[in-house]
Order: sequence, then C-alpha cells, then structure tokens
Amino acid sequence: MCPRSLSDTALMDMVVSNLQQQRLVTEQLRREAAIKRMPVSLAVKDIIKYITEHEQDDCLLVGFSSQRVNPFREKTPCAVL
Amino acid sequence: MENENKDCPVETIESLTKEAESLKKKLEDERQKLNDVTLATAADRLDIINYMNIKPRRTLKGHQAKVLCSDWSPDKRHIVSSSQDGKMIIWDAFTTNKEHAVTMPTTWVMACAYAPSGNLVACGYIIRDITFKTFCVQGIIFPFRGLDNKVTVYPLSLEEDVSLKKKTVGTHTSYMSCCIFPNSDQQILTGSGDSTCALWDVESGQLLQSFHGHSADVMSIDLAPSETGNTFVSGSCDKMVLIWDMRSGQCVQSFEGHESDVNSVKFHPSGDAVATGSDDATCRLFDLRADKEVAMYSKESIIFGVNSVDFSVSGRLLFAGYNDYTVNVWDTLKCVRVCLLYGHENRVSCLQVSPDGTALSTGSWDYTLRLG
Repeated sequence: MCPRSLSDTALMDMVVSNLQQQRLVTEQLRREAAIKRMPVSLAVKDIIKYITEHEQDDCLLVGFSSQRVNPFREKTPCAVL
Repeated sequence: MENENKDCPVETIESLTKEAESLKKKLEDERQKLNDVTLATAADRLDIINYMNIKPRRTLKGHQAKVLCSDWSPDKRHIVSSSQDGKMIIWDAFTTNKEHAVTMPTTWVMACAYAPSGNLVACGYIIRDITFKTFCVQGIIFPFRGLDNKVTVYPLSLEEDVSLKKKTVGTHTSYMSCCIFPNSDQQILTGSGDSTCALWDVESGQLLQSFHGHSADVMSIDLAPSETGNTFVSGSCDKMVLIWDMRSGQCVQSFEGHESDVNSVKFHPSGDAVATGSDDATCRLFDLRADKEVAMYSKESIIFGVNSVDFSVSGRLLFAGYNDYTVNVWDTLKCVRVCLLYGHENRVSCLQVSPDGTALSTGSWDYTLRLG
C-alpha cells in the first residue's frame, strides 16, 4: 500500500466503516433472534390444512370437473361435413 | 439495560463479532428445539397422488434464441416472454398466436412481467454503457393493450408503436434479473446483479426503497400472497433466501441451507412458506413461522441445477424446471417426486402456473415455450 494514498484519516475511515458494517450484521442478528417462532409440528399442520382445503380446486392435481371448463381443451372437430 | 447493551458506547469490531457469533448459535439452538416433526411424517396419513392432469397442450414458437423469462397475464390467457434474441413477445396461449413482438435495443432481455391490470408489461435488459466497462440495466415499462380492450385496431406498424410508448423507470448499477409489480401498476419491484432489490414509482421513475442485505446477485423475487402485500422474498447467488418488509426496507428473516446459487423463490399460496430452487440440484421449503427449512425435494439421480419453481394453486404440487431439460413435479407434503415431464430440448429456464391454476407454462433455451 502506498502510505501517501492511505493517510491516517483514510485508515480511520476504513476502521469506522468496518465497524459500521459489523454493527449492521449484529443488529440484523439481534432482530432475527428476537422473532417469535412456532414448533414445526404446528406450522406444517397449517400448511397441510391449507392444502387439503384447496385441493379440490387444483385443476393440475385433480383435473377438470368437465372438459367444458378446460380453457385449453382441443376443439372438437366438426362432425357435420 | 442488560449486559449485552451496556457496551453500546464502546462497541468494537471484536465485541460485535463475538455477539454475532453467539446470536447465530442461539438462533440455531432455538430453531432446533422447535424442530419436533418432519413434514413427510406429519403428512403420512394423506393419500398419495396418483392422478396428474398434465399433458403437452401447446407449443409457442417464435423466439430466435433462448427464452429467459415469461409471465402469465392476469386474464389467464396471454403470456409475455423475453429472450436472448432481444425480443419480448406477447402470446395468446389459447391460439398460440403472437399478438405483439417488441424489439429491445439489446439482446439478453432477462426479465419480464405483467402488471396487475394486464395493460402494462415491464422488462429488464442489459445494455453496455459508453465506457464499455460496466453493464447497466434499465427497466422498461410498456403500456400495452390486449385484444380484449375496446381500442380495436392498431396500425400494422404496431411494433414501433408499442416501442414509442416505452418508459424507462429505474436503473440498477448491474443487470436486472427479475421484476414484479407489487399489487398495482404504480410500482415495480426489481432484483439486480448489484445484490440489491429496489422499489420504483412507475410514473416518476423515482426510487422509493432499496433493499440491502444480499452479498451477491439477486436472482429471483416473489411477493407474499396477501392483500396487504408488504412482504417479499428474494433468492441470491450468496445462497441465501431473505424475507423483506417492503415499507421499512428491512430484512426480517433469513434462511440458509442451500449449497449453491438460489435461482428461484416462490411463496406458498398459504403465504406461510416459500419454496426455492437452486444450482445445488435441490428444491426446499422454508416455513416463515417455524423460521426454518421444513422440507427438501431432491433425489440422488437428480444432479442438475434448478432454474425455476412454482406451486399448483393448492400448494400440493411444486413444479421445478432443471438444467437437464426436465420438469420434476414434487408432492410438497410427502416430499416425493410424483412425475417427470420431458419435452424441452434444452435447459428449462422459467416456468409458471397460470393464475387460475389450469395450466403450466415452461420456457426453455430450446427457443420455445410449452403449455401443459
């Protein structure tokens, strides 16, 4: 490092900025450590409940109640020729 | 004040680092303590999936190069796609017709998105600035009127017409990898190679909020499915998945676990979890309320990276597009693969379930989009 380009004040700035950066990291972790968590069993119970309540409307899973409601159905060829 | 906060005036890098280490350990312990069951065990009593309503239905041909991104219109009928050929195409998915093709000033149109009204599309592309040193990306918004609009006829010079109406909204210092309209046509949220996300005002082009926290390229973002919609998730090449508060700009949760770039993130329709796809060849499910990973979707035989993930409307199925040209369909609850979809002749770069859940669109480096 060139001593002239890295003056005392520049060095000081670097120390301060490193400190600020570490402070941000620690503050972030403090916030994350403080959040409320629920047991996995309860969380996944709700996911399963949501899915079972919506499964009957999931066309890719259960299909269409009739082909009429399928917007991508193949057009039936004209029978009268 | 407690011991930990007493040292505020004399915080040193050492003290802060030490505290960070102990907080990380505390977080991990806390998460493990609540890890009382696996998702697959909890879903044990459910029926296995033995029916799948997916078959090839349409192929959209027209791009001259790799398809990089696509998005369904809220009208459940149109799709916008962007490609390395420098074009953005708006398709009628029912008829496979191209309704608009817009030429960008450059190739590599990385991102495109429909606005909630269906009248706007946005895209992000890479341009080299005059110094030829940095790549810069601009987000462009195109006012766009679909056929269902009462304005009936556009002149044949439609292409230029749409281009003239373009509007530059925001500029990142690196490429823009993804964009979405959160809740209205007035704002756009973007993710960038400069490792930040940004919220812009469409009308004024003003930066409303920027989101700092990732340490590498942001690859994907998704909005939480609630009316209030102030939460979004981002996935990055730093392997992290972050949850953000859009109003405060703060990261509220972070998930690690992936061993490589996170290429795709998607909220579960319940809003309580996010699915991710990564270059480490796995998809994972992170639960927001348990604050941890609750499932991993992988197989020993699957060794290629995942580029894109999306849920079926109930959240039971997770579709994942891979670099080995396939789409794997996972049972999110039993954590097993239910189906493998072939068809594309190159990497699957993007996929999305239509808004009403009736179809799956996939885009690929084989220049085509397919609908199933």
